[in-house]
Amino acid sequence: MASQRRKSRSESLTLRYAILGGWALFCLMPVLWFLSIGFRPRTEIITAQPIYWPTFSLDAFWMIFEDWPMWKYLRNSVLAIIGSVLIDLVLAIPAAYSLSRYTYRGRDDIGFYILSTRMMAPAIVAIPIFFLFRNAGLLDSVWALMLIYAAINLSFVTWIIRSYMMDIPKELEDAAKTDGAGDLRILWEIIIPAILPGIITASVIAMIFAINEFLFTLLIASTPNAYTMSVALANFTGGSDGLIYNAIALVAFLAFVPVFIVVVAIQKHLSRGLTMGAVKG
Amino acid sequence: MARIELSGIQKRWGKVVGVRDVDIEIADEEFVVFLGPSGCGKTTTMRMIAGLEEPTEGEVIMDGEVMNDIDARDRDVAMVFQGYALYPNMTIYENIRFPLRMREVPKGEQDALVRRAAEMTELTDYLDRKPSALSGGQRQRAALARAIVRQPQVFLMDEPLSNLDAKLRQAMRVQIKHIQRQLKVTTVYVTHDQIEAMTLADRIVIMEGGAIQQIGTPDDIYNDPANTFVAGFIGSPPMNLVEGAIDAGTFTAQGIEVTGLPAALSGNVVLGFRPEDCTVGGNTPHLKGSVFGVEPTGDLTYLTIKVGGQQIEVKADRAFRAELDTEITVTFDPARICLFDAKSGERLR
Repeated sequence: MASQRRKSRSESLTLRYAILGGWALFCLMPVLWFLSIGFRPRTEIITAQPIYWPTFSLDAFWMIFEDWPMWKYLRNSVLAIIGSVLIDLVLAIPAAYSLSRYTYRGRDDIGFYILSTRMMAPAIVAIPIFFLFRNAGLLDSVWALMLIYAAINLSFVTWIIRSYMMDIPKELEDAAKTDGAGDLRILWEIIIPAILPGIITASVIAMIFAINEFLFTLLIASTPNAYTMSVALANFTGGSDGLIYNAIALVAFLAFVPVFIVVVAIQKHLSRGLTMGAVKG
Repeated sequence: MARIELSGIQKRWGKVVGVRDVDIEIADEEFVVFLGPSGCGKTTTMRMIAGLEEPTEGEVIMDGEVMNDIDARDRDVAMVFQGYALYPNMTIYENIRFPLRMREVPKGEQDALVRRAAEMTELTDYLDRKPSALSGGQRQRAALARAIVRQPQVFLMDEPLSNLDAKLRQAMRVQIKHIQRQLKVTTVYVTHDQIEAMTLADRIVIMEGGAIQQIGTPDDIYNDPANTFVAGFIGSPPMNLVEGAIDAGTFTAQGIEVTGLPAALSGNVVLGFRPEDCTVGGNTPHLKGSVFGVEPTGDLTYLTIKVGGQQIEVKADRAFRAELDTEITVTFDPARICLFDAKSGERLR
């Protein structure tokens, strides 16, 4: 009896894994597919009959690093993204602290205003921003990208951090006050460590948005000096060589891997961050 | 150590009055408990002493100095919170050391002070753990250790035991009182639990509706309640309160007649008597009713009697048993009877 129960239990477990495994395969299919494209020779890409087991080739891999300044694009991406996230955190943490902890007239309106900047279609501000940056002499530089990404993400980074701060019991701050700590000490020693998961989540989401940012990058980066992965990827689709699908696939994969790793690493916090405090964690 | 004086303290939020006209002087080394139901203003009063809340009117004075404009962090008070408020990212050691760091106690002295506080609260073995790895009682002791570590002028404790189970609560109560006596620090303690108030306090301040109802020693409060609120709040079960009329020294209500009361009183009054001041039977019984419930607890028996439309609680002998709905008589101890004005609820003397 007991062994039968154990058997049916293990059967249902197998079934469950089979279903989940199938679903995972389905979701990963595009990734596997462009990996398969990326590591095959150019001659095996466009054929009359599909080739399921292509020849393995590193042609495209060498090509993207030798013929294109791929390291530069990667470096630009990393600098612009990390810089923008740092700017966001420096601005968002005090803003969120103020929005979540002090009561003053118009506080909720200010909070909503900050969030509302995210609701605007980017195309509306594209041209004014282009002129602003041109007049400031910032076109075609990584610094400009940093500022743009920071500006785009600032609203929801503030909002996510604010939602985490709201969940910290007021008692903690009262305790710190009677223990003799000032506001900045409380923020630095009590609040920030307590909401570290929220800060990480907000940073990662900001990074993902920044990696995927295309419109403003294209507007501001006019030469490879400031190209990032997302714009470089777009540039592969044209040129004298025609469409180089295997290189496109590999660059796309390179742009995808860092995000993928980070998301897997913090997935537990991510869903919480995306609900922006609507659900208690 | 410090003397605390609250003078004409009021707290209003718009039209809502949280605390009204609180006047009290707390002596050096005294243990004062603010007792009352939730929303009575006791915690707000304590937060005003701590500097976490600003009084709308009145003054908070410590050792003769008006503290109203002095920040919480610059008042030499230590507070223990209901939810412990331990810093989750720090170990217990770091938690206890935090106030020393903030007050810039010399580094060399910090360790010894932390260890002493941990020893007094029996936490020495848990110093390197995070708060999340401790039980409720241990967390409470850690919060206590953090409060006592820098020997402040005043301890403020806001329902520190309300999250603990009954057994632990009793053990912690003894510990808190012991530590307070040892350190001789003026202590203000807020609770809604009358047992805590009775056992801990030198003096109890009973609050209701934002106002002080009575200030007195636990004995005063228990034996000599100032009004029906205090009478009905203190004691377990609390004082029986029966509305009736008094004339020429005789109180009458349905099923109850008490003679020999002060002849000067007349009109509608409330008669109060404690369950333990009643004897079942007696030659000249004061009360006649029917048995509504019998609850033996081992050391005594709670007897509920239905008189008129009202239930009267009596603490009877532990061997006492009775069938439901049987007729029963009760005699009171006349010296222990209290009379209150029926309208204002104030004590008549």
